[in-house]
Amino acid sequence: MMTAQAEAATTPEAPGMSRADVLVTALIVLVGGLCLLLGAVSTEAGEVAQFTDRTLGTLFSLPTQITLYVIGVFCLFAAGVRLFVKLGSVRTVLNWSVAFLVAFAFLVWITSGSSLNLPGMLQATLVAATPLTLGVMCGIFCERSGIINIAIEGMMLWGAFTAVAFGSTFDNLWMGVLGASLVGGLMAGLHAWLSIRYKVDQIISGTVINILAAGGTRFLNLRVLEPAGLSTPGAFNLVRIPLLADIPIIGPILFENQPTVYIMLILLVLVNYVIFKTPWGLRMRACGEHPRAADTVGVQVNRMRYIAVIVGGLIAGIGGAYFSLGQVGTFEDNMTRGQGFVALAAMIFGNWNPIGGFLAALLFGFADALQVKMQIIQPVLPIINQPIPPEFLQMAPYILTIIVVAGFVGRTRPPAAEGKPYEKQ
Amino acid sequence: MAEKETTPGLVQRIAALPLWVRLAALTVLVILATLVSKWLVLVLLIALGLWPLTLLLGLGLLALIARRRGGWSWMKGWLASRLGGLLVPALAVLTALIIGALVLMFTDQAVYEAIADGQIGEALGLAFGNLARAYGALYEGALGSPFKILEALGRWMGGEGIRPLLSAVRGPSDSLVQSVPYIFAGLAVALGFRAGLFNIGAEGQIGMGWLVAVVVGFSFAGLPAVIHLPLAILLGAVAAGLWAAIAGFLKARTGAHEVITTIMLNYVLFRLSEWLLCGPLEEAQGTCRTQDIVQSAYLPRFLDHPVTVHWGFVLALLAAVLTSWFLFRTKWGFELRTVGANPDAARYSGMSVGRTVVLTMFLSGALAGMAGVSQGLGITRNIALGFQAGYGFDAIALALLGKSRPLGVTAASLLFGMLRAGAARMQSVAGVPTEIVQIVQALVIVFIAAPEIIRIVYRLRKPKEEEVEVAVFSRGWGA
Repeated sequence: MMTAQAEAATTPEAPGMSRADVLVTALIVLVGGLCLLLGAVSTEAGEVAQFTDRTLGTLFSLPTQITLYVIGVFCLFAAGVRLFVKLGSVRTVLNWSVAFLVAFAFLVWITSGSSLNLPGMLQATLVAATPLTLGVMCGIFCERSGIINIAIEGMMLWGAFTAVAFGSTFDNLWMGVLGASLVGGLMAGLHAWLSIRYKVDQIISGTVINILAAGGTRFLNLRVLEPAGLSTPGAFNLVRIPLLADIPIIGPILFENQPTVYIMLILLVLVNYVIFKTPWGLRMRACGEHPRAADTVGVQVNRMRYIAVIVGGLIAGIGGAYFSLGQVGTFEDNMTRGQGFVALAAMIFGNWNPIGGFLAALLFGFADALQVKMQIIQPVLPIINQPIPPEFLQMAPYILTIIVVAGFVGRTRPPAAEGKPYEKQ
Repeated sequence: MAEKETTPGLVQRIAALPLWVRLAALTVLVILATLVSKWLVLVLLIALGLWPLTLLLGLGLLALIARRRGGWSWMKGWLASRLGGLLVPALAVLTALIIGALVLMFTDQAVYEAIADGQIGEALGLAFGNLARAYGALYEGALGSPFKILEALGRWMGGEGIRPLLSAVRGPSDSLVQSVPYIFAGLAVALGFRAGLFNIGAEGQIGMGWLVAVVVGFSFAGLPAVIHLPLAILLGAVAAGLWAAIAGFLKARTGAHEVITTIMLNYVLFRLSEWLLCGPLEEAQGTCRTQDIVQSAYLPRFLDHPVTVHWGFVLALLAAVLTSWFLFRTKWGFELRTVGANPDAARYSGMSVGRTVVLTMFLSGALAGMAGVSQGLGITRNIALGFQAGYGFDAIALALLGKSRPLGVTAASLLFGMLRAGAARMQSVAGVPTEIVQIVQALVIVFIAAPEIIRIVYRLRKPKEEEVEVAVFSRGWGA
C-alpha cells in the first residue's frame, strides 16, 4: 500500500544501501551460519557424500563437513561483499549463486554417508521445472502486457484435461498437446475478453477461470471421457536425441526427456528473444508499463493485450499437457495440484523475466525433486532428532514468494500499468 | 423509509424503554427461543419446503399491514427500491442455470447415441427428459418435495410419529447446513471487499479454523460443554484470523499484495495440514484424519437424523447481523469502508490505513475460520485429508452476488447452499456429477461481475445511477 512507499521515499537512505539490502544481507549471513552449524553439529569429520552416475559409476565424493564449511564461509563472504563493495548487475548473479549453492549444500548434507545419482537428481529437477517454466512464460506474457493472471492454474488444468481428451480421441499424443494448447488459449481468451471488453476485475475473472477449470474438467471427465472410454491415451515415451544423449552426464540430463521438456527449452529461448529483442516485444511491454504512451505512438493497446494473453494461454496449455501426457497418461481430478500457483510464485521470484523465472522454477523444481528423495532417505534433523517432513520442503516455494513480494529480499518490480483496464481517450 | 406517522410506532415505543428493560426482554426472548428452537427450526424447514404457501402467507401479511397503514403507495416505493437491485442478480442466476442445463444436454451420452441412430425426435425427448429428471432431483435435494412434506405432516398430525416428517424436510435441512460455511466465508470475502482487500485465502483460513477447532475439540476432554464449545469456536476463529492477519500485516508494512500472500498462505496451510493429518495428528496409521472431538465440543443439532441443521446456522445468521452492525453502525466499520473507498482520503483525515488493513484481514480470516469451525464441530466432527470443499473460492461469488452487503451475502449463501445440497441429490438420483454446480457458480460470477452481458442479453436499460460498485482491487502486484 501507499504508506510503505511514502515512508520509503521519505526516509533518507545510506547511499547504495536500502533497507531491503540490509535484510537480504542479514538473510545470507543467517543461511551461511546455518550451513556452518549443520556442518559442526550433524556431521562427522570423515563422512563423505558420494555422487554417482548410472553409467560412469562414482563421479566424485565430497567430504560433507568441509563442503558445508566452505559454502557457509562463501555465504558470509558474499554478505561481506554486498556490504562493502558497490555492486552493479553482479548482485543478481551473486544472489542466485548463493541460492543454488545453499540448495547444493542441503543436498550434500542429505546425501552424507550414502550415495546419490546426481544426473538423475538434476534431471528430475529439470522435469519438475518444466510445467513451472511453461506457466511462468504464460504469466509473463499476460502480465507484461498489463493483464494480471492468477488463472495459470486453471489454464494448465484445462490443458491437462484436453490433452487426454484429444490424445485419446485422435489416438495421437501430439494432437493432445495441440488441443491442450488451443484450449489453454481459449480460456486465456475468455480471461482477456472479460477483463478487456467488460473491464471485469482481473483477479475475479482469473478466479472464474480457476473455478471453471476445477469444476468443468471433473464434470466432463466423469460425464464424457470415462463413459466413452477415452480417458487413457497413454503417456509420452522419453525421446533420446541421437549422439547428444551419449554425452556423459549432460546427455541423460538434457537430451533424454519427454517432448514437453524440449518444447519448454525451445520456447524459453524463443520467448526471451521475442519479449526483449523484437519490436513487437517492446510494444507489448509498453502496453504493460505505460499504455497511454504506447497508444500515442500507434500501438493498439487492447488488441496487443488480447494477443499476449492468448499466446500465454497457448503456452500454459502445453504446461498442462505435461501433467497428463508427460506423467501418468490419464486425467486425475485437480492433477495440477497448485503447480500453477507455484508458477505464479516463480514468475514473481524471477522478477517477470523468463530467464529469472526459469531459474526460480529450477530452484522450486529442485525442492520438489529433493522432497521425493527425502521420502526415501529421511534425513534426521539435528538437535531435535526428528526426520524432516517432506511437506516442509513443498512449502518452500510459497514461503520464499511471500518473503520476496514483501520486499524482504531483492526488489521485485511488476509492470506499472498492470491490472488497470485501458480506455482510449 | 421515512416514517410519516405522528403517533409512535411499536419500534419507537420499544426504543423509548430503558436499556436494562430492553436487555432483559432480549435475554428472556433468547432463552425462550432456545427452549423452543427445535420447533422453530422444524417450522422453518417446513416453511422452506412449502415455499409457495409461505410466499402467499407473506403476501397476505403484507396486504394486511398495507391496509392498516392506509394504502399500497408507500410499500410500492419500498418494494421497488429493494427489488430493483435484485433484477440483475436474479437474471444472472437464471441465465447460469439455463447454460448449465444446456451443458447437461450437450454432454448426454444417450442423446448422442439416439442421434447416431437417426432418431432425432427420440433424442430430443431423451435430452429434455433427462434434464427434467436432473433438475427435478436438484429441486428436491434443495427444497424437498412439497407433496411429501404435506403427506408427512398429515401423518404426523394423525399420530404416526415425526420420523416421516423429518425425512421429508431433509432437503431444506441440507440446504441450510450447506449454507452455513457459505454465509461465513461469503461474509469474510465481503468484509474484505468493503475495505478494498481481496481475501482470496478463505479456503486456507477455513482449514485453519477447522483444524484448530477440532484439535481443541478432542484435546480438552472433561471440560463442561459451556466452556469447551465456546473455547473451541473462539480459538478456531482467532487462529484463522491471525493466519489471515499475516497477509494484512505484510500489506500494511511492506505493501505486499494480499492476493499473492493469501494464495501462498493457502498452500502453506494445505501442506502443513497434509503433514499434520497424515502425521502427528493422525488417528490411526493410514487414515489421514484426526480422532473425533468429544461430545462437549459438539455444535448441537436441533433435530434427529437425517435432519442435520445445527447451531452453526444460528451463529452464521448472528455473524451476518453483527457484520452488518459493525460495518454500518460503528466507527471501525466506517473507517474500514472509508479505507476501501479511498485510502488517501482516509489517511488525510487521520485514519490509520495500516491498522485498518490488519484488523480487516483479521476479522475476515476469523469469519472464514468460523466456516471451518462450524463444519468441524457441527458436521464432520473431525478433519480429514482433502477437507477443501471449495467454499473459500465460491465465497467470492457470494460476496459479488450480495454486493458485499451482509444480508445480501446471506441470501446468496442460502441460494448456493440449495444448489450444493441439490447437486448431491442430483448425483445420486440422476448420475450427474456435482461439479455442474461449480460451473453454474462460475457463470454466476461472470454475469455479476460483467452485468453488461446480462443487460445486452435481456435488452435491459442501463441503470440511471450505478449501484455502489465493488472497489477496484487489482491495482497491480507488489506495491
